[in-house]
Amino acid sequence: MTTSLFVGASRTRAGIAIAALFAVGLALSASLARADDAGAGKAASPVEEFSEQLEAFQKSVPDLNKSIQDSTGAIDSITDVDKARAEIDKLRETVSTLLGAVSDNGPVSQLGIKALNHVHDKLKALAQESRFKPEERQFLTDRWRKLQEETESATRELDDARAQFASLLQTLQQSEDFIGELIEIRQAEKALEVIRSLTRDIRDASSQLNKLIGGIKPPGA
Amino acid sequence: MRRVLGLLASAAIVGAVIVACRPGADAGYVEIKTVPVSAVAQTALYLDAAKLAPIRKGSAILREHVGTLKLQADAGAGSLTLLCDIEVKKNRITSVTVSVMERPPRCQCRYGGADAARTCVS
Repeated sequence: MTTSLFVGASRTRAGIAIAALFAVGLALSASLARADDAGAGKAASPVEEFSEQLEAFQKSVPDLNKSIQDSTGAIDSITDVDKARAEIDKLRETVSTLLGAVSDNGPVSQLGIKALNHVHDKLKALAQESRFKPEERQFLTDRWRKLQEETESATRELDDARAQFASLLQTLQQSEDFIGELIEIRQAEKALEVIRSLTRDIRDASSQLNKLIGGIKPPGA
Repeated sequence: MRRVLGLLASAAIVGAVIVACRPGADAGYVEIKTVPVSAVAQTALYLDAAKLAPIRKGSAILREHVGTLKLQADAGAGSLTLLCDIEVKKNRITSVTVSVMERPPRCQCRYGGADAARTCVS
């Protein structure tokens, strides 16, 4: 009986031990499963990184395309010889407009002539004037003479401006071809700057692409 | 009503004058130099039929319509003598030197056209 009791008790203990082992096993497997899940989460990180890089690259591609299109347009326009000619024409028109104002039959010169004529007339009239006392007449004459000097000085400046604009217009005419070449050189320099800027953009895109390709690692690599 | 019409007409005239006088509107320049240089040239010069103001200090720059103009001098007894033709180009300047010592005065073109002796070009 004792033996049977002992056997029964030991059987019960063995059952408990088995149950405990089973429970530990279950707990371990659950913990392992959680650990696996966590491991799976960490394994997704390169994928996210790749997607981010891909997204950044895809975003930069339209910018680069636009940059290439803009640069092509800019270079086409910069290397347009007719545009250089148009620039000279515009310059000539600007100088011509200025010369028009100060030319001998232009509005500013005519104003100067009118002002001087008026001063001369006043001086002539004052010389024959009998309404004023001699000192009053002298005072007025002095004032008009001063005005005459100043007006003459202003018209001399006008003469200088006229000569300067005329000379500029002549220079533009005589050196038209040379100035055209200078404008073309300036345009070519601009074109070079556009190409340099485009090269920088392409280099940036290329480095982004290299980063993207470098981020692609096959499983087990 | 009449006053409004008058104002409109005035505005139209002023506008037309402004457009006509705009330097860029098919106008060029003629530079006339006279030798020997004097304070005021005594020889009366004409561009087509228009008498020029006496040339001061041996030089005048005139704004003219594009085309070919005749530079003439007073030959006495109310007649004009042709000195040369001057070609006026848009926004360009045509230079001519007039030797007033000679009788009749003589044109010296800075640049000559096809008929170099008689036509000055820019």
